[in-house]
Amino acid sequence: MNSAGEDWEEAAAEAVREASRQGRAVSAAEVLEALAARGFDVTSPDAGEKAEAALRAHAGLACFAGADGAARYHDPALLSATYAGIMDRKASPTLLMAEEIRANSREYPRPVPVELFEAEPFGLTPEQIGDALRAMAENPAFEDIAFTATSTGAVYLFSSRSLEPGYAKFLAEHAQNLAMNP
Amino acid sequence: MASATGGFAGKVLRVDLSTGAVSTESTVERYLDVLGGTGIGYRVLWDEVPAGTGAFDPANKIVFATGVLAGTGVPCNGRTAVTTIFPTCWPKPLVGSGHMGGQFAAKLKYAGYDALIVEGKADRPVWISIRNSQVQIRDARGLWGEGIRRATLEISREMGGECAVAAIGQAGEKLAPMAIVANSVSHSAGGVGGVMGSKNLKAVAVQGDGAVRLAGDKGEWERLVKFHLSILGGNNQHVVPSFPTPQSEYYNPGSRWVGEPGRRWGAAEPPVEITGNIRDLNRIAYRTNSAAFYLGANAWQYTVRGNGCTGCPIRCHTIVKVPSVAAKYGVGEMGQNTCAGLLFGRGFFRKLAAGDKSHTSLEACMLGMHLADDLGLWCNYGQLQRDLIKLYYDGTLKAKLGAKEYDSIPWDKYESGDPAFLLDMIPRIANRQGELGAVLSQGTAGLFTAWSITERDWSQDKETAYWKMGHPKHHANEDDGQCGVIINTQYNRDAQCHSHVNFVRNGLPLAVQKRLAAETWGSPEAVDAVGDYTPANVYKARRAKWALIRKELHDSLGLCNWMGPWVASPLKERDYGGDDSLESKFFSLATGLKTNREELDRMGERIFVLHRALTQRDMGEPDLRSRHDTVPDWVFKDANGAAPFSKGTTRMDREDIAKAMDLFYEVMDWDRATGAPTMEAYARLGLQDVGRRMQALKLTPGTRG
Repeated sequence: MNSAGEDWEEAAAEAVREASRQGRAVSAAEVLEALAARGFDVTSPDAGEKAEAALRAHAGLACFAGADGAARYHDPALLSATYAGIMDRKASPTLLMAEEIRANSREYPRPVPVELFEAEPFGLTPEQIGDALRAMAENPAFEDIAFTATSTGAVYLFSSRSLEPGYAKFLAEHAQNLAMNP
Repeated sequence: MASATGGFAGKVLRVDLSTGAVSTESTVERYLDVLGGTGIGYRVLWDEVPAGTGAFDPANKIVFATGVLAGTGVPCNGRTAVTTIFPTCWPKPLVGSGHMGGQFAAKLKYAGYDALIVEGKADRPVWISIRNSQVQIRDARGLWGEGIRRATLEISREMGGECAVAAIGQAGEKLAPMAIVANSVSHSAGGVGGVMGSKNLKAVAVQGDGAVRLAGDKGEWERLVKFHLSILGGNNQHVVPSFPTPQSEYYNPGSRWVGEPGRRWGAAEPPVEITGNIRDLNRIAYRTNSAAFYLGANAWQYTVRGNGCTGCPIRCHTIVKVPSVAAKYGVGEMGQNTCAGLLFGRGFFRKLAAGDKSHTSLEACMLGMHLADDLGLWCNYGQLQRDLIKLYYDGTLKAKLGAKEYDSIPWDKYESGDPAFLLDMIPRIANRQGELGAVLSQGTAGLFTAWSITERDWSQDKETAYWKMGHPKHHANEDDGQCGVIINTQYNRDAQCHSHVNFVRNGLPLAVQKRLAAETWGSPEAVDAVGDYTPANVYKARRAKWALIRKELHDSLGLCNWMGPWVASPLKERDYGGDDSLESKFFSLATGLKTNREELDRMGERIFVLHRALTQRDMGEPDLRSRHDTVPDWVFKDANGAAPFSKGTTRMDREDIAKAMDLFYEVMDWDRATGAPTMEAYARLGLQDVGRRMQALKLTPGTRG
């Protein structure tokens, strides 16, 4: 407990919730910073481990591996895993785009229009998108990322791990035609 | 009797324009077994309009009918079904219905009526004034020749601004089969305007000061309404937004839920910015912006607000204000509509130079809305536009029209994608000017009868999207494989069914859709990924039956089938499930007649089978399977030669579709060989009188040698 009588574990969970309300998933280190600011003693050598264990055990919280490999915590009732992942990867447009393309191809399944990444919450500029696509083309780690174009010239991106090129092309054309098939 | 049953207004109003007689009858005593809407419409035609009656014969009747839930607080109510012998049905007119939203349904209920039956023919132009119990047939000679807006304005001046006016324009007056009736500016029912015109009926205006009485517990009602609101998505019940949000696990760039925080209704005065939580039930109206969905993000700056039907939070008729269009073309600066009505003008052009989401496209849409919604011209779900494109580019128009008429049309503007072309073309068709206007105003049927074009020419060409009987597909195999095909075989016009497509386009991942499908229709195999179709199975047939029955239920309850049913929801805490029993729960509370999903679905099935019997009776055809439930050839083709069931094609397999129809007839309890309802089916549905009549006509299975 801190001097205000707050429970350490509940305060840690509240720190995660507060970040979730702001649209961010947080690491255990960030949670410890928040706890320190609230007067908790977080100087013990095992404070990090203790925080990780408490957050993982909390029924209302979820975690995922962040872009840097460290665990990120969020309250899914306030911040979806999808959105949290996007925000976590925003510092790396290449990774951001690749993971989103893969998730869409895997889960729905569908290719995504390239202009999706210009809109919020991605918020990339056309230049950033172009750079990211070039970087992916040159890096074997992203060799599954491919594109297809519709008959009207719209460009859609997909992952060949989950979508065959022919089917991706069909789905792109279908998506493009939705507005003319009311 | 009526007072003992909630939900119903209590009376059906009947106006005989030949004699001037006005009468009423008890809705509950006469029509309870068919609920309302299309149910009343089909029953009236079955009982009172003989087979062989033409659409424009005085013996035809036109039934404006709403339902138990119209005019209540149920979300997505406000629908009126307009049922009649349908004039665009080819080769002979058969039963059909147009459907309009707006304020007409609620006003009719508040005036004390669940339906209005118009019969006979007036000897001069008239309009019907309904002010509660006061019903008058009024002289409309001063309105004849005016557009829908002027007629609405003049009548509203007399009735009061709160009235609802359903009027026809010049197209209906001139007996164009391709004519609408419209109320509340933009809410139209297609194909029925000419029937009104044939009766010299310019408009029906309603002002009602009453209310709809609810029989059930008010607290329970309010809780159910709030629950319903919580499971709503955006337009067409797209349950995930088009953008990632902190509140959503899923999103779909193709979703019609386009309103996200930060967007602005830029033409509102002052502009309104969307803020707050997208899940807020008091902010549902911000989710849908049809202009932005169809015309792209630029449309936000022209958006004034959403408009829509009584009691509907979706507001799918987006109002846009584009002063530059007014200045350029001399039309009003405001426009509003949704879906095919919004796209009316743009649809005429094969290609617009800057694309479908350009400013030129917006101009074409504005012009189309302005002209068609005033002249009262129908698009037949875009078939009119597709027909013109094909006829022009394949040289038919040049061959069929005289040189003088052909040269009088500004084809240069057409080819260059200049929206000004519409200022010539739309009035030409609506006013039935020349050979082109006379033929195209009949719909695709006109091409077959006047120009000797064969139906096969259209049914082989996928680009026409033509299905059968003068009408196009409406969410068929391109959206939903065999389920879509089955549904599109069942009506005498385009199917207008959205139960199935609202599910497959809801935006949830396929695995979630399959889980919901298993819960609702018994197996995940009831639904496929689009373009990755598997062979027909009984679960798909069950889903097709469910879709059709729910469509008829919605049309007969006053609910919107463009929004329902509600088997999926945006709610993660419900595992994205909705509530497939919602309609029966509302019905029970509104009427006080306790029912459940199965019982109400049986009533929906009764209405659907009544449509089937009416179709068969008027066709005089024992074999509906081969003569009515047909599928166009293009469904069995693929432009790239892909085989059926290969990934990335919507091509269907003939044998598999035959099997799908077998399964559908089986789940309907219809004869597999002929697709005709059996006597057992009629009896099970409480339609013994209909069955006996069909048997006497030798139209039930086994009654012909």
